[in-house]
Amino acid sequence: MEVAGAFVAWLGIFVVVLADGRYGLALGTLLAAAGIAAVSLPIAGPTASAALAVGGLIASAGRLVAGPPGWTVMPAGSTPRLVLGVAGGLLALWVGLAVTSGSGAGLRFAVISMLSLAAARALSSDSGPVVLTAFGLLALAVGAAAGLSGPPHDGWPYLAAATVAAAAAWVPLRTPRAA
Amino acid sequence: MLPEALELVVLAAAALVLALAFAPVPTSRRGLIAKGGAGLAGTAAVAAVPTFDLALLVLLALAVLHATIEGKRTLASRLRAPVFAVALLALGALFARVQGPDVVHRFAAVGLAAGLAAAIGLMPYLHPFDPEERITSSPIAWLAYIGPAVAAVMVADAHGLLNADTSAAFAATLIGLGLLNMAWGSIAAWLTENGGAAWRYSFIADWGLALSGFGVALTDGRRAALLIFFTILLGRLPLYFASRGEVRGRVATERPINLLVAAALAGSAPFAGFAARVLLLRGATQLFWPLALVLAAGMLLWLPSSLRLGRSLGVPRGRQAVGVALVLAINVAVGLYPLPLLAAARL
Repeated sequence: MEVAGAFVAWLGIFVVVLADGRYGLALGTLLAAAGIAAVSLPIAGPTASAALAVGGLIASAGRLVAGPPGWTVMPAGSTPRLVLGVAGGLLALWVGLAVTSGSGAGLRFAVISMLSLAAARALSSDSGPVVLTAFGLLALAVGAAAGLSGPPHDGWPYLAAATVAAAAAWVPLRTPRAA
Repeated sequence: MLPEALELVVLAAAALVLALAFAPVPTSRRGLIAKGGAGLAGTAAVAAVPTFDLALLVLLALAVLHATIEGKRTLASRLRAPVFAVALLALGALFARVQGPDVVHRFAAVGLAAGLAAAIGLMPYLHPFDPEERITSSPIAWLAYIGPAVAAVMVADAHGLLNADTSAAFAATLIGLGLLNMAWGSIAAWLTENGGAAWRYSFIADWGLALSGFGVALTDGRRAALLIFFTILLGRLPLYFASRGEVRGRVATERPINLLVAAALAGSAPFAGFAARVLLLRGATQLFWPLALVLAAGMLLWLPSSLRLGRSLGVPRGRQAVGVALVLAINVAVGLYPLPLLAAARL
């Protein structure tokens, strides 16, 4: 369960790295949220884990209704993004499993890959929907990272993360004022 | 809530009141109350939440709120810096919490310091600045209004996350960042062609002093950082606000008031900046005396840029003149007797 969840979380953020269209971004959000919720389940419990999943679901729905139309996964010139997603995932895997130790290896891998790839995606894009999608996934990863702080685990970071991620997807996109 | 952070939130509220009372006539006060009040509430929430993770999430919420304010930059360009900052801070916290070799924990210290710098607005190229943009939507809002309380919270939380060895690495990184920003900010404020950009760089230079103060990690260093934040919130920010019309019109005057403002901005006696510099030098001497020598040399760089910024204020008239006089008087009062301010923060 933990291994599968961690892989799905990475796959979700990988899709977000590769996609420019609303369907691709929404699918990536959904996958990443499901994955991070699954790896959080053993540590945070069902309620907190469900909060992350619901936050991701709302964020995904928000992305479905706003943003560039279509899937636009791997458009022309996206080789650097492909390399970023794979290399970032391998680096996160190495740090999460080999460099660091202790329980929760899946959670460490999922959180490291989501934090680093979401930040890289936000830095490399000028598109509002793309940056907002990365922003939402970053919020979910920050919430899930609370599980690494040791017991007792309260549900507030998970609930706050879900709220921020869900709200960010519904932020109206506007054009900047000329003067 | 951390007493230091609470005091900085109160000082930010005072800066907002000053801006409302002495803003130029064309400024929309209703908009200023709404945006400034939301920023203040968000800053207070960052300071009030009990854990580091919640503080990061509130910071993200504040960032998205700030990005929705109407302005000249795109949503993506405004969100980029906070996303990067929170990612670095969260990775830093993660590396501090997990088991692993020492190098991982040292990466935690670097991540937390770099994330703090990105959150405030000190990373080059990450915070595009347009001098014509309103203060409420520009990076100045982070540098001069939200930043001080956020930095106090983040530094305190970071020390809580790190062990003794990595705390020292964190402090050393802050000193390094501080010296870099002192040099970069003060030289750029002196030499840049654009007057508005010069003000922005002067904030960065002040942040260099504050980060050095946090890095010194002795009581004197923290006191110095608090006083620097005071001079940012109730000195440089209101004066920048007052200078905005003149920066646009490129009017430079050399009256006694301009020299007084320049002295306040440069941290001369008897203004609050002087007390901050003395405390910082005293703390640095206790820690490692050559550092005090470097800091003292760096502080001299404030002089040319402050003279330039003082001249850019023009001749304030009407309610702006009252505002400038009040700001100078407050800075003199705190410079002469900073004890109540420090005692309120339990320093």
